[in-house]
Amino acid sequence: MSDFKATVRSRLPNLGLPAERETEIVEELAHQLEDTWRSALDQGATEEQARQQALAQIPNWDDLAREIRAAQVPIVSHAPVRMAGFLDDLRQSVRTLGRDSGFTLTAVLALSLGIGANTAIFSAAAQVLLRPLPFPEPERIVTLWENNIKDGIERDDVSPANFLDWKQASASFDAMATSNPWSFDFIGESEPEKFRGALVSESYFDILRVQPTLGRLFTAADHRPGRNNAVLLSHGLWKRRFGGDHGVMGRALNLNGRPATVIGVLPPDLDLRLHGLAEEVIAPQVVSESWRLQRRATYLKVVARLKPAVSLEQARQEMSSIAARLARELPVENSGVGVTVVPLLEHLVGGVRPALVLLMGAAGMVLLIACVNVANLLLARGVHRQREFAIRMALGAGGMRLARQLLTEALPMAALGGLGGGLLAFWGLRIATVQLGADIPRLEEATLNTSVVFFAGALSLLTALGSALAPAVRVHRAQLQDQLKQGSRSASFGVQTLRTKSVLIVLEVAVTVVLLVACALLLRSFWKLLNSDPGFASERIAVLQQFIWRQYTTPGKRLIYGTQALENLGALPGVEVAGLVSATPLLESSMDSSYPAWVQGEPPPPPGQERTAFHTIATDGYFSSLRIPLLSGRTFRDNDRADSSRVVLINQTMARRFFGAADPVGRGIAVRYRHAPVVYEVVGVVGDVRHESLIDPPRAEFFQPFAQNPSGAIIFVVRSSLDPEFLMSSMKQAIWKIDPTFPFYRATTMETLVKESLAGRRMQTVLLGAFAFLALTLAAVGIYGVISFAVAQRTHEVGIRLALGARRASVIVMILADGLRLAAIGVGLGLALAAVASRALGSLLYETSTADPAIYAAIAALVIAVAAQACLAPAWRASRQDPLTALRTQ
Amino acid sequence: MLILAQLEEVPRHGYEIAARIGDRSGGLVQFHAASLYPVLYRLERRGLIQGRWVEKPAQRRRRYYRLTPAGRTVLKEQRRGWRDFLSGMQRAAGFGHV
Repeated sequence: MSDFKATVRSRLPNLGLPAERETEIVEELAHQLEDTWRSALDQGATEEQARQQALAQIPNWDDLAREIRAAQVPIVSHAPVRMAGFLDDLRQSVRTLGRDSGFTLTAVLALSLGIGANTAIFSAAAQVLLRPLPFPEPERIVTLWENNIKDGIERDDVSPANFLDWKQASASFDAMATSNPWSFDFIGESEPEKFRGALVSESYFDILRVQPTLGRLFTAADHRPGRNNAVLLSHGLWKRRFGGDHGVMGRALNLNGRPATVIGVLPPDLDLRLHGLAEEVIAPQVVSESWRLQRRATYLKVVARLKPAVSLEQARQEMSSIAARLARELPVENSGVGVTVVPLLEHLVGGVRPALVLLMGAAGMVLLIACVNVANLLLARGVHRQREFAIRMALGAGGMRLARQLLTEALPMAALGGLGGGLLAFWGLRIATVQLGADIPRLEEATLNTSVVFFAGALSLLTALGSALAPAVRVHRAQLQDQLKQGSRSASFGVQTLRTKSVLIVLEVAVTVVLLVACALLLRSFWKLLNSDPGFASERIAVLQQFIWRQYTTPGKRLIYGTQALENLGALPGVEVAGLVSATPLLESSMDSSYPAWVQGEPPPPPGQERTAFHTIATDGYFSSLRIPLLSGRTFRDNDRADSSRVVLINQTMARRFFGAADPVGRGIAVRYRHAPVVYEVVGVVGDVRHESLIDPPRAEFFQPFAQNPSGAIIFVVRSSLDPEFLMSSMKQAIWKIDPTFPFYRATTMETLVKESLAGRRMQTVLLGAFAFLALTLAAVGIYGVISFAVAQRTHEVGIRLALGARRASVIVMILADGLRLAAIGVGLGLALAAVASRALGSLLYETSTADPAIYAAIAALVIAVAAQACLAPAWRASRQDPLTALRTQ
Repeated sequence: MLILAQLEEVPRHGYEIAARIGDRSGGLVQFHAASLYPVLYRLERRGLIQGRWVEKPAQRRRRYYRLTPAGRTVLKEQRRGWRDFLSGMQRAAGFGHV
């Protein structure tokens, strides 16, 4: 009956085949329907029933069309037709994933987290560690430092006289220049403000080879004495303080009480971090004859540009021989002084590299775990479908064709995972740049860089393809009967698959243990740090720093200023005690200077072999406000004046180092500032304080009363009964009563300084903790999956056991034991790996041994507990099943 | 294998193949057109069977499929594989040898 042809033609979607072939297929299908119809009529069906039966032959015309299309792909193929098959696979796999949303969600989430963490961390690392500096031939720019290997000092600032000698004697560099931290008091229309800055010597910008955003850079004429009133503004300051106004060019600013002409604006991104924080104002350094005399005062940063033909190693050798010659010629000042040559990039980022590498490692491990999980999921599904594939193969489907289908199923998952990962990375990086930008050089400009995005794309693709490949390869290699032998009616799986999955789980657990151990070590170290005794109290302390040399040129004037300011502060309501000091703990801008010293009465040690001690100037109030205890002797008295005998307090470390067990009170200490030693009487010993950070061991330090040596660098340290933030402005006003044009270099609280000093570590710990938590969660999901899978496989066995009278509890124990065995192997492997890997953490830890058995034991217990938790649900399910149902599943 | 086996002696058309499989398996295995024809086309593409239009008097033309030499070889291999498998199953399941 010819109307079946019309039916088929109207229902069958276009096959995209040659018209002739399509007609043939329509005709053949029509025959089929017609034959069915006829046979139904023969068996006594009504016309309509027969027609229904015939049409029931083809329940879904779309599926049929797809199948025919795929079947028509010639073996010697044309690409477009093969592509059609590929698109079909893709469409089908998207549908499959949509149907199996739990599976898809888990896999995509795991991939997103792994890829996101990696993309963010690698973007940041590429930005911070690898991206070249924004200068021409940046690898030729180096920084030079004095070192003193004997004292364990690797990079110290350079003295002016040494710089001049280095510059004159060396032939390795195109140019060598200095930068000298300088501050600029700016008096504008509103409150006086302090700009951070530097004085740079001639050819500084020739070394960097930067172009100004506006105006010009310094010329030789700008460095001449008396002519040096030109200044350059940083891009940041120009935007912030002058609103990016081009009219600032040529303007005379009142800086440090004299007019200075703005001749240019520097390009953005010019932060060498030579002085801790980015400079805002740069002025020309005048190199005067007095520089020849300054051999021991080290305060200059030196940068240089290597000549094109000179390697870093050659420059190092040349500088070493110059330093050796200087040490021979000037034994008093230069004995033991060498030169460290460090590439600028290394100087900038060397400090953060270990932490970044650690985080990169951790992110990599999270990705590994994510991949293992996805592989496990895909394996489970692949196994589930092996029988389906085996049947299709038996019916003539090519192995490659099926493998391709599995692979295309992985594609949309990879795409989703990559997308999710990209988003997470984008957000993560945004948060990181805001939170850490100030602590980690060059991070602020970090964005997702394109190569990293590609990297993530490739990563997600590889992960999914790799995970899909295992079952795909198995299907392809499959021996038909093997497949069918392993197949059972309900779920199909193979012993071999379970073994693969078990290996993956052991791996996953091991990696998790490594991450957890690393995280625990960091946490412990951080906790110790938080609880370490810095030697001072930080609550409710305000810290206000000023530099007063220029306005208060004589010691007498400075003494009056300081005393008056302390009086004003003390009179404020809420203020308990106010002190003054030249260097406080944790304040980077503190002026630190150390000098050779020895116990009076002992023979002075030969030059270069003296022990050194830090020289700090303080008033009594400094010790009482920071609650630094007096251990013996007395503190300063009012009658310790400029004209009375010179006294000092020393700290515990100095007492131990210089006097051993003897009582230092009443003894004399000799200090050499330049040539002739100065002798002080030790009147007391105070407690140690950690200075540079909460980690560094306390240093030997002696304190001179402000009254006997009124310093120009002063820091007011004020303890109040209220939150010091509330009092900050009234404190400033109290000091401005003396001189309202006098800015504060830094006004903050001690607690802020403590927080800042911990910020990097806190973030490290938080990030690693997050990664470890992620890893643990993913591992738990993985263990749960595998155990559920294994339990499903053993349903029948469990049913028999239950039928034979096994107690349910013993079934639970049996299944738990299975899971825990895997977990235990993983934990064992992980602990061994962690013991090796954690050594890399050494430099990031504080008073924490990488081999702390308590940590290892705790992590092992934690992971086992989580694994047990993950096994419990499947075990419980298995034990509750009805033996009959269980038996029927086979 | 099932399809190849139906073509061992004479060429047959699609409806006939499906009907024979249904009859010979006692109705246990039913092929619908939706699954039959794609398989046929695939087997044809792989060179295991060959289809040809045949016109008989008083009938419209029909497409008959016959086994190619390659198809014959594959059928033999698959038969051996299934026989091993089935006898293994029988022994394992305790039906004894048939």
